[in-house]
Amino acid sequence: MAVYVKDLIRISHNWVDTHTCDVTTRGWILRLLINITASVVYPPLDDSCPSTTMASLSEEVLLVLKKVRQRKQDGTLYLMAERIAWGPEGKDRFTVSHLYSDIRCQKISPDGKAKIQLQLVLHTGESSTFHFSNDSSALTDREAAKDLLQQLLPKFKKKANKELEEKNRMLQEDPVLFQLYKDLVVSQVISAEEFWANRMSTTNTENTLSDKKQDVGISAAFLADIRPQTDGCNGLRYNLTPDIIESIFRTYPAVQQKYGENVPHNLTEKEFWTRFFQSHYFHRDRISTGALDIFSECAKQDEKGNVTHLELYRYIRSGVLNVLTAEGLPKEKKIGGKPASTSNPNRTGKENSNSAIIKRFNHHSAMILAAGSRRGDAPNDQASETSSTDGNSRDSDLFQPPIKKVWWSIDYLDLQREDGPKTVALNLKKSDRYAHGPVPLESQKYTTSQDIINSITCIRHEMANYVPNLAQVLTSSAVSSAIAALSPGGVLMQTGTQQAINQMVPSEVQGELKHLYIAAGELLRHFWTCFPVNSPFLEEKVVKMRSNLERFQMTKLRPFQEKVQRQYLSANITGHLEEMLQTAYNKLHAWQTRRMMRKI
Amino acid sequence: MKLNIEGLLVYFPYDYIYPEQYSYMLELKRTLDAKGHGVLEMPSGTGKTISLLSLILAYQKAYPLEITKLIYCSRTVPEIEKVVEELRKLIEFHCKETGEANNFLALALSSRKNLCIHPEILHANIVVYSYHYLLDPKIADLVSKELTKKAVVVFDEAHNIDNVCIDSMSVNITRRTLDRCTSNVETLQTTIQRIKETDAAKLKEEYRRLVEGLKEANVARVTDVYLGNPVLPAEVLQEAVPGSIRTAEHFVGFLKRFLEYLKSRLRVHHVVQESAPQFLKDIFQKVCIDRKPLRFCAERLRSLLRTLEISDLTDFSAITLISNFATLVSTYSQGFTIIIEPFEDRTPSIANPVLHFSCMDPSIAIKPVFERFQSVIITSGTLSPLDIYPKILDFRPVTVASFTMTLARTCLCPLIVGRGNDQVALSSKFETREDFAVIRNYGNLLLEMSGVVPDGIVAFFTSYMYMENIVASWYEQGILENIQRNKLIFIETPDAAETSMALEKYQEACENGRGAILLSVARGKVSEGIDFVHHFGRAVIMFGVPYVYTQSRILKARLEYLRDQFQIRENDFLTFDAMRHAAQCVGRVIRGKTDYGLMIFADKRYARADKRGKLPRWIQEHISDGSLNLTVDETVQMSKHFLRQMAQPFRQEDQLGLSLLTIEQLESEEMLKKISQMAHQA
Repeated sequence: MAVYVKDLIRISHNWVDTHTCDVTTRGWILRLLINITASVVYPPLDDSCPSTTMASLSEEVLLVLKKVRQRKQDGTLYLMAERIAWGPEGKDRFTVSHLYSDIRCQKISPDGKAKIQLQLVLHTGESSTFHFSNDSSALTDREAAKDLLQQLLPKFKKKANKELEEKNRMLQEDPVLFQLYKDLVVSQVISAEEFWANRMSTTNTENTLSDKKQDVGISAAFLADIRPQTDGCNGLRYNLTPDIIESIFRTYPAVQQKYGENVPHNLTEKEFWTRFFQSHYFHRDRISTGALDIFSECAKQDEKGNVTHLELYRYIRSGVLNVLTAEGLPKEKKIGGKPASTSNPNRTGKENSNSAIIKRFNHHSAMILAAGSRRGDAPNDQASETSSTDGNSRDSDLFQPPIKKVWWSIDYLDLQREDGPKTVALNLKKSDRYAHGPVPLESQKYTTSQDIINSITCIRHEMANYVPNLAQVLTSSAVSSAIAALSPGGVLMQTGTQQAINQMVPSEVQGELKHLYIAAGELLRHFWTCFPVNSPFLEEKVVKMRSNLERFQMTKLRPFQEKVQRQYLSANITGHLEEMLQTAYNKLHAWQTRRMMRKI
Repeated sequence: MKLNIEGLLVYFPYDYIYPEQYSYMLELKRTLDAKGHGVLEMPSGTGKTISLLSLILAYQKAYPLEITKLIYCSRTVPEIEKVVEELRKLIEFHCKETGEANNFLALALSSRKNLCIHPEILHANIVVYSYHYLLDPKIADLVSKELTKKAVVVFDEAHNIDNVCIDSMSVNITRRTLDRCTSNVETLQTTIQRIKETDAAKLKEEYRRLVEGLKEANVARVTDVYLGNPVLPAEVLQEAVPGSIRTAEHFVGFLKRFLEYLKSRLRVHHVVQESAPQFLKDIFQKVCIDRKPLRFCAERLRSLLRTLEISDLTDFSAITLISNFATLVSTYSQGFTIIIEPFEDRTPSIANPVLHFSCMDPSIAIKPVFERFQSVIITSGTLSPLDIYPKILDFRPVTVASFTMTLARTCLCPLIVGRGNDQVALSSKFETREDFAVIRNYGNLLLEMSGVVPDGIVAFFTSYMYMENIVASWYEQGILENIQRNKLIFIETPDAAETSMALEKYQEACENGRGAILLSVARGKVSEGIDFVHHFGRAVIMFGVPYVYTQSRILKARLEYLRDQFQIRENDFLTFDAMRHAAQCVGRVIRGKTDYGLMIFADKRYARADKRGKLPRWIQEHISDGSLNLTVDETVQMSKHFLRQMAQPFRQEDQLGLSLLTIEQLESEEMLKKISQMAHQA
């Protein structure tokens, strides 16, 4: 079968992603779209905003394209090591500058459109459009910019986003941390870097843990998800996303191998996928294989893997005992004499293709299954992947004795007495309440059940051992004065208890106080971790932390105190906070004087 | 626990017991007491095997003179292994309880690898092996000939026993068989020539023995030492070998003539069907072979092979087959038919003549077993309708009983899907077999179920061809792709190894939570012998009614025979056969009381009383009138409801007292009354 490959120019008014290509084969157009889409939109969390000033001279400029219009203004486009920038003609500053890490994706205008444009979409949703207006080389300019971006963007995306994503995740998962972030970073008490400095280090271990989270298997229908869309003129359009490509590679390592061998030296990516979709490898029922078909080898390889595996399987099974073929027993036949499944040499073509489909399905399912377990074993081990291309990676479990299967069916578990400790069955009287969960009326101090149990046993214990000592009782007057003192309003009950605060202060102020406590605690934690001060870095930090604390006291604590005083004259609810700060200052002071002494 | 079954102490290796197990043991004991045969149906997954073993073992202990041996026959190697495993457990328990050392000798013959040494079998108390060791005259003669009369024979999973009997007696002769026979005869001839030159006395001695007649065998049979062999009829034993085949050369010449005759018969251009007497008449007219020497053929060959001291009998399988055929065709004037087909129906252009000497009467093969052994128990999960087995196997049982499964919760849900959502009647009947609407609706049913049922689904088709066509058409319509979104798909193939692998992968997919669908064929390898316990099978879908291929001449002949001899109508037998296979298929999914599963019969014909009535009682009683002619949507709704109920925790306490009994509960007056009622229902 001859395959005609011819470019077809298509006119479309929509933006098309950059990996677009059109190929015609015998009137069928396969358009492969590789959409690179980012899954999360990251708000800028760092205070480092993209600067719009001219880059310093040390910045490496990778590509300069002249006659690029932006907002109907002629100018020059610069692609640098870390950002892309555009400056209007005749001016020495950039009006547009984007860090690569801020760019979500790039889009280009479809081939054949009058204006040759490139669009950059940012994570924030904004976009910048560049129009290449150089008459002679507009298209090549655009292609050059596109190709370079295509190489650069993924690198930055991975690096920048991973960190941002991690921070974002932490903030989303932990409301307290988020509040702290707001209190300290947004209000500029400390910088974002300082804030994250020792957070990230503690999360690094977690990080590696979360990296190891369960792998997602492959949908069995991933090939079906690549729905070819017909678009009017006899065309077929396949949408390939990186996910799908990964699925194909994971399921059929042979294809990945081919990809590695042929792309990009022999074939471009688009040609590779075009051939993949045309190949009999993809179309399970097609028997004919063209000479051009690089995948016939894959199919053969798979077939071979399958056959050798089956041989092995037969061999092992005949050695042990076959589940299905009762080795050594005469085969039972169906009544009516004709066994339904005689392998007939002269089957018609249709029957052959039918059985090919069946084989393919078994193979495909086995591959998918194997891909799942393969991932778990050796994530990046190329050797192990290629060695297990037949989808039946674990030969070892073939050697397991068939007894295990028998066990399942002969053991009547319910006939046996249940072993092990008796568990208490959860008996829900009102299951809807269980489903909705407890609704907190208001936040209050939480006593764990262990605390309660402990205190009950404690009280019980005391009650049991209580022996009244009648010789040493108080006099009645002393008792009555003690009771009076301990009653509400008595002498001993005047200092503010928590309950008093609850009653005295509205919840809004309470909340504010709580935030202050958390923020102060965080700062103090930073402060105290500096001790013992045994490096210049820590020295520097401890001094800085002091100023941070002071700033906190000035910008946060003071206004709050004033506000409270304005409203509730008597209450001194920030006393403890100030005490804590004072302790820190004292400590620092002591440390400083001691250092001075030593120096002298 | 220790049970008291009408005065018999039975050690039962579990802490609890199902009421139906007790009831089953009761019936079994009565059968043994009466020294008669029994037909017992009890659902799979209710511990039939362990009940059988426990009771018979106890009986053997209590009355060692009444019963000296248990012969346990099962069909497949995994089933035999299962039995051995249960037996091991039982004996361990027995030893632990009584404190005695194990003095039981149990023996399992499963495959060539574990083939036993002959004398041992005589001393074993329990023998576990395949049906063929008892029913196939060729093997039975080697293995089971000398088994004692005072034995209990159990045929487990016996719902197909008639087919095993028939197959063991049927002979198919192709050109290839005859060619191998010719070479066999030549070998015989040269060997005889050689022996004649070296050791003529040996042949003379044999001749003398043959003149004396087969007295030894006769004496043995009269004194009840041997199991009867249907290939060695009684008349043969009383007479001497006829003179025409007494010398070795004459016999070889006789065989040659017979072979030439068979070759000529295979050179036909149209199908020939004739009875045994017709065949004998023809052979007498054409090559002057009499009935009498033919009848002695098998025994004469055996004697010759012994005399010639030929060790490897497998080389002579072809000539043995032919001589068995000669004996059978001249012995039985009824119960067999001869069909000579010049080519296969599907490939009329290729000549491949086959002579089918086909047995139509299963009772011929099993007759010696019934006659010889004191008690023969036929048991299975699906033996309904119970009266048909005694009829076609020609015996008179003392006990016929069917036990249902007592359930604390309805853990099986049989649904009959008669229509698609578009009201198209669903059926696999011949006229609508190619109908796209039906195929699409079947696909839709599977698709919908794949979205509702957790873990494993097993689907059965009526034949391999039918499955292939449906799969291809589902593939074209994109249904399979959509199913793949929910579950992986594995398909049975004609290749056993490939199927084993698909099955293993299927189990792996169920095990790791991915979920899978296994498409397989009724009467195929998967449909019998492979259990889909718990999550390995939460639903089984039976697409169509698995009728046997009715166009076969052999089947037609058998149906005629059944009608004439047993007054069983063709349709009744076909339906019976189809329904027992359907029941086998759907029964795969329930393997115990803690298990649960959907049984979906996707054919409107199942709703008819004549079909439904032939399902085992334990399935039938759960089919409500409301679930007789459902649409696909209704089925999905009911399945959802059922599965949600089943997903609730199910504990031992829920079963106790209802479907699971402690020894105290069992011994209560009330329960015993209940149980005795249960048994009488049958």
